[in-house]
Amino acid sequence: MSEAHSGAHPTPRMYVKLALVLALFTAIEIALFYLEDTIGRGLARFTLIGLSFLKFIAVIGWYMHLRYEKSTLSKFFTGGFILAAALYGVVLGSFALTLAAGG
Amino acid sequence: MSDSTIEVEVDHHGEHESTGIEHRKLGMWVFLSSEFLFFGALISNYLLYGGRDFDSVVPRDIYDIPFTSFSSFVLLMSSLTMVLSHDALARDDQHQARTWLFATAALGTVFLGGQVFEFTEFIEVYGMTLTTNPASSSFYLLTGFHGVHVAIGVLMLFSLFGISLRRGRLSERQGLNLELVGLYWHFVDIIWIVIFTLVYLLSAS
Repeated sequence: MSEAHSGAHPTPRMYVKLALVLALFTAIEIALFYLEDTIGRGLARFTLIGLSFLKFIAVIGWYMHLRYEKSTLSKFFTGGFILAAALYGVVLGSFALTLAAGG
Repeated sequence: MSDSTIEVEVDHHGEHESTGIEHRKLGMWVFLSSEFLFFGALISNYLLYGGRDFDSVVPRDIYDIPFTSFSSFVLLMSSLTMVLSHDALARDDQHQARTWLFATAALGTVFLGGQVFEFTEFIEVYGMTLTTNPASSSFYLLTGFHGVHVAIGVLMLFSLFGISLRRGRLSERQGLNLELVGLYWHFVDIIWIVIFTLVYLLSAS
């Protein structure tokens, strides 16, 4: 049977600190949106996706407590996410290839 | 029950478990996992049509990024109040749990109000409806589907708040309900994190 992950359970202070970090990331995202022409489109987009992914992981890990739960739950949840990402990645990829081929 | 039994049936605070995890909690995680497929389909749909040009107005040309940023911030902070409510209940601080629960429901209501305002503006000011073009259809479907999730979450939060007020406290069983609603609420938040970046920021830039 799977075991719960080790580590101290977060305190309210930690939750507030995480909220501040998430708010900061959101502020950076908005700034990147307006500064895209200055810093370059590619870098801005890459950073936007990276920050969004970090926020996504932080909420799942700490607010949803997944990193403190039994690994069975992690497997179910990440399994669903990976399955969906792979499925729609293939779908979007095939559409992109069709469009590139002039379809 | 013999020692050799592999599957153990435990009645823990009235909740059944055979995996070491309460069944309802496991069910909620599996349900949320399956929701990735729903939202994945709608996000992919938007990514396919949202960037295309049509003769009529498209969503990316009329986004109000400062306004949506504020809405995103509100929803993000509602995840904080949700987890603080859960934490307070774990410490049996019923008053704080109820206060944070109400704050979460109120922030969710503000987010919904923002979405209603946005949709109304898009329809009445810019004339962009569900059937204007495939880009507008995919936008309304995705954000509307998310909005319905938020509305269901707000209803569940206000229900728990009402139970807490009426009975004076949330029991252990209702504590599990609070945890399940919390998981659902955080999931709605992470989906919005993705929508805000992919649909609003990347699409409009």
